[in-house]
Formats: sequence, C-alpha cells, structure tokens
Amino acid sequence: MNKKRDKLEVIFDILRIISLNHNSIKPTPLQRSSNLSSTSFSDYYNELITKKLIKEIIDDKNRKYITLTDKGFKYLEKYKVISGFIDEFEL
Amino acid sequence: MAIPIFSEQLNFVVETAFTILAVIFCFLIYIKTKESYELTKYEGIKYFRDAFLFFGLSYLLRFIFSLIFLSRIAFDFILPRKIFIPLFILPLGYFSTISILYLVFSLIWKKVNNKILLIGGHSIAILLTLISVITRSHLMLIYLQSFLLTVTIVWSFLIHSKKLSQTKILYILVFVLWLINLIILGNRHHSLFEILAMIISIAVFIKIYSKVSKRIK
Repeated sequence: MNKKRDKLEVIFDILRIISLNHNSIKPTPLQRSSNLSSTSFSDYYNELITKKLIKEIIDDKNRKYITLTDKGFKYLEKYKVISGFIDEFEL
Repeated sequence: MAIPIFSEQLNFVVETAFTILAVIFCFLIYIKTKESYELTKYEGIKYFRDAFLFFGLSYLLRFIFSLIFLSRIAFDFILPRKIFIPLFILPLGYFSTISILYLVFSLIWKKVNNKILLIGGHSIAILLTLISVITRSHLMLIYLQSFLLTVTIVWSFLIHSKKLSQTKILYILVFVLWLINLIILGNRHHSLFEILAMIISIAVFIKIYSKVSKRIK
C-alpha cells in the first residue's frame, strides 16, 4: 500500500477483515491480513478491545477467535460517513 | 449614530429569539456528532463538538448577561450590575474563549501535542477571564478575544493549511460574529446592522448544522 493509512482507516481495515471472515478469525491471520507490524498490531488490538469494537472468544478446544461487537459492526457501517465528515470539516 | 429600529420591548423579544435559535443549533451540532465521536474517539471530532457545546453555553450566558442591562425592560426592576457583571463574566469569558480555541484546535490538533493544546488553551481561557473579571468589563473580554482571534487565525493558517476553504470562512464568521454579538450586548435599541449580524449568525450556525447533517444522516 503506497499511501500511509490514518488511524481510523487502519481500524476500519482490521474490522473489515474480521467481518469478511464470517466474523470469526484467529489473531495471527488477522495480523497478517492487516499489513501491520506485530507491535503496531498489538497496539491496535488492545485499543479495539478497550473501545469494545472487538471481543475475544475462546472455543471448546481453547482456541482464541476474534469477533466484532455490535459497536464494531456500527463502526463498519458508519466509517464512510464519519470519514466524509472529518474531511468536510478538515478535522 | 446607529438608527434604532425596534422598541425596547421588541428588542428584548429579538434578543430572546436570537439566543434560542443560536443555542438550539449549537446544541444540535453537538448532539448530531455524538455517535461519530463515541464510535471513533477521534480527537478532531471531540474538539469540534465541544466547541459548539461551549458556543451554545456562551450564547446562553450572553443572554443572561444581557438581562443585567435589560432587566428594567424584562422584569421591571434593575439588577445590581456591580454584583452580577463579575458573576456572569466569569463563565461567559471562560466558555467563549475555550469555544474559540477548541474550534481552532479541531483543525490543528494533529500538528501540535494535545497536552500542550489543552493546558495552553485552558490557561489562556482562565487568564482572559480573570482579567475581564478584575476589570469588571465585557469590553475588556472583547479586546482580549479579538487579539486572541487574530493570533489563532494566523497560527492555524501557518500550521494547518494556507488554503481558505469554506469551512475556514464559516469558522472565521462564527468568531467575528461572536465578537459583534458581544459588542452589541445590552444595547437597548438594535440598529439594522446589529439585527443583520444576528441574522447572519443564525444563518452561519444553520449552514454548519446542515453541512454536518448532510454528512451524518
């Protein structure tokens, strides 16, 4: 990717990857698909958990999956609108 | 000399209607952007919506402040100015200064350390307010805010972008019209120019609200 992604765009990309994977993906493939370094991914991951945009689910075999919360789906739905608003007011 | 076009009573009605509209549109901008901020916690949106929350409060306080001057007309008694002016100039000075600064911060927050912005902004607002309270004059507040306005506008052009966009024109209008509305505060008779300033103020708030609404449906 040539253009440096801003924070909102990176968050959108991570959430979209989860959504495109039937709302269930393991952390390692998510990091690979998000094109982020492990440190950077870890920062975003913790932020998304704190902001309650994603949540972790542990299955019967003790495997960790990441899914979107309702707020995460809302973010995906509203991203373009919010992004347009930010551009409009140069925020 | 400005020609008065309204009687004192009608002047009071005009002031009330103007305040209600200004406050409603400022608060509507604040409410409309709530969800976008809660989803993203984006600093630029925070400064933007807080600026309009504080503008709304400033216009509300401006109206209460004007009652000190218009109390004889509104309530048929005179409020003691020596007590009430410092009492209301305190929140008026603080909220209006912080609203001006927050709107500028919404443009430049990516270029300046946020802690510096917040500490500096609130310190400036407190300083301006204290000077106005000590001098017991809203005119002092106007002089200081005019100076602050000039500095922040030049500053934002220097570090944000030199392009004069529609958003920046609207922001400059919000600032300048605030100062005009502060200058005409307490006038018993509004001139045509003053009425025009009030109408343009409302039009600017409506324009900003409609721009927000168009984006955030």
